[in-house]
Amino acid sequence: MFGTYKPLWGKKPRFKSSYDAVIIGGGLHGLATAYFLARDFGMTDVAVIEKRFIGFGGAGRNTAIVRANQRTQENVPFYRKALDLWPVLTRELDFNLMFYNCGNLNLVHSEAAINAARMNIATAQFCGVESHLIDARQCKEMMPALNISEDITYPIFGAMYHPPGGIVRHDAVVWALAKGAAARGVHIHQQTAATGIGVENGKIISVDTEHGKINTPRVLLSAGGYTAALAYRLLRIQLPISVLTIQAMVTQPLKPLLNHVISSGAYHVYANQTLKGEIATGAHMDPWPNYTTQTTAHYIKHQAEALAELLPCLRGVKFMRHWAGLADMTPDMAPIMDGNDHVDGFYLDCGWGYFGFKSCTAVGKYMARFMASEKCPPILKPFNLRRFEQHRLMGETAAVVNYSANN
Amino acid sequence: MALTLTCPICGERNGYEFRYGGEDKGPRPRAEDPAPGHWCEYVHMSPCVAGIRKEWWYHKDGCGVWFTTERDTTTSLEVKQPEKTR
Ligand SMILES: Cc1cc2nc3c(=O)[nH]c(=O)nc-3n(C[C@H](O)[C@H](O)[C@H](O)COP(=O)(O)OP(=O)(O)OC[C@H]3O[C@@H](n4cnc5c(N)ncnc54)[C@H](O)[C@@H]3O)c2cc1C
Ligand SMILES: [Zn+2]
Repeated sequence: MFGTYKPLWGKKPRFKSSYDAVIIGGGLHGLATAYFLARDFGMTDVAVIEKRFIGFGGAGRNTAIVRANQRTQENVPFYRKALDLWPVLTRELDFNLMFYNCGNLNLVHSEAAINAARMNIATAQFCGVESHLIDARQCKEMMPALNISEDITYPIFGAMYHPPGGIVRHDAVVWALAKGAAARGVHIHQQTAATGIGVENGKIISVDTEHGKINTPRVLLSAGGYTAALAYRLLRIQLPISVLTIQAMVTQPLKPLLNHVISSGAYHVYANQTLKGEIATGAHMDPWPNYTTQTTAHYIKHQAEALAELLPCLRGVKFMRHWAGLADMTPDMAPIMDGNDHVDGFYLDCGWGYFGFKSCTAVGKYMARFMASEKCPPILKPFNLRRFEQHRLMGETAAVVNYSANN
Repeated sequence: MALTLTCPICGERNGYEFRYGGEDKGPRPRAEDPAPGHWCEYVHMSPCVAGIRKEWWYHKDGCGVWFTTERDTTTSLEVKQPEKTR
């Protein structure tokens, strides 16, 4: 019954002393970039180096929500590309990624929030992404479990309904990308931390690791929540990032009852039902930077209260597991993707906060193009690091964030 | 263990009573300093230290004092008594 297992991504590769490209971080972004470097540009002499094991970070901890209903004209098209890639990758990688495009309902609880939703919807429609405003009655028709009564803390006024979004199984994405990259010749080195980056005359020349030096002309630093600390430690580059702990939990498995992803800013909660039947829900962040992955009783209580109001049928249902990961937040809630600035051959991908799962496919595709051509693809240009010094922050957040130093 | 902070006036209190006010980055650039880089560094940038750093906190659900203290970001625990308020 228990056979011998081989990892999907083949035998442990030989650790070579040079590669055409080194990717630091075996999360979704690193693996996807490696995959697309091999697939689209024939760059197969690539190493992904991972301190622990692939999927250890946000890749294996997120709540798997995908959508393309962001706020700005720069972000929506990018997330749309990412969303469009799930069915493509499922076919191409020959792996069931369990993409369930059940649609997302962003609940709104005030007139002001309705107006904010209207703006998001107009942006979505302008970018060719489906998104509509619906009222509370329509919410109830779509999701009978929802409590639309007026005697709750934040009564529901309506929702922004975004049909193309949904959920994808995150572990499957890690395994499939690793399998696809390895099959094309990419070396995945687990238990191999990057400890230094060598620069000579403004150019990348090497990466130091626990297992020795690798000579390489290009490096992508894509280590999820650890990226900002590494950028400073290895290259003395400071980033506009605050790393916060983000928590999530699942209930015991239930019969199907949540047929869409729901989220509510006022209750600070989102929930979806996994294909196994659990209600997966998040996402509390203690608003001060820290690198722990500790969970808190404070948050279990918050989550139980919010869910019991929005979905009264969940009263008395048990939480089964509760975990946390890191979210690297920028002041404008938009990521940083950059390269060949400051140091030639150095590429950077970070600031993905709690939206780096839904974006990973497009990040891989376009960061690979950036690294192979050495030219920034137009779709990535707005996400450069210099926007902060030019005071051209993106408007992904309508309100000032409350975790950074500047407010 | 959850965060506990020592308010210079009220003493040790639950971390959720406080509001984080950012890393203590020292004095702000002079108003006449035109270099955008300096301002950007002061306003946005951080070395994101995994370890001990000095921070501003505000006792929002308490006496309302602002103070600095040191905290280890790898454990999210305060490491020593804050200095006297300035
Ligand atoms: C609880 C939670 C819920 C979330 N929910 C969602 C969601 O619903 N939708 C969504 O879009 N996003 C969500 N996210 C965000 C998303 O998971 C992350 O943005 C994304 O996974 C980060 O990219 P990654 O997978 O490449 O990074 P990670 O998986 O974090 O990979 C980084 C890797 O770098 C490795 N590393 C660290 N230091 C070194 C070193 N020195 N050398 C080599 N390797 C190193 C780490 O071990 C890690 O494996 C959530 C995150 C959390 C924690
Ligand atoms: Zn006090």
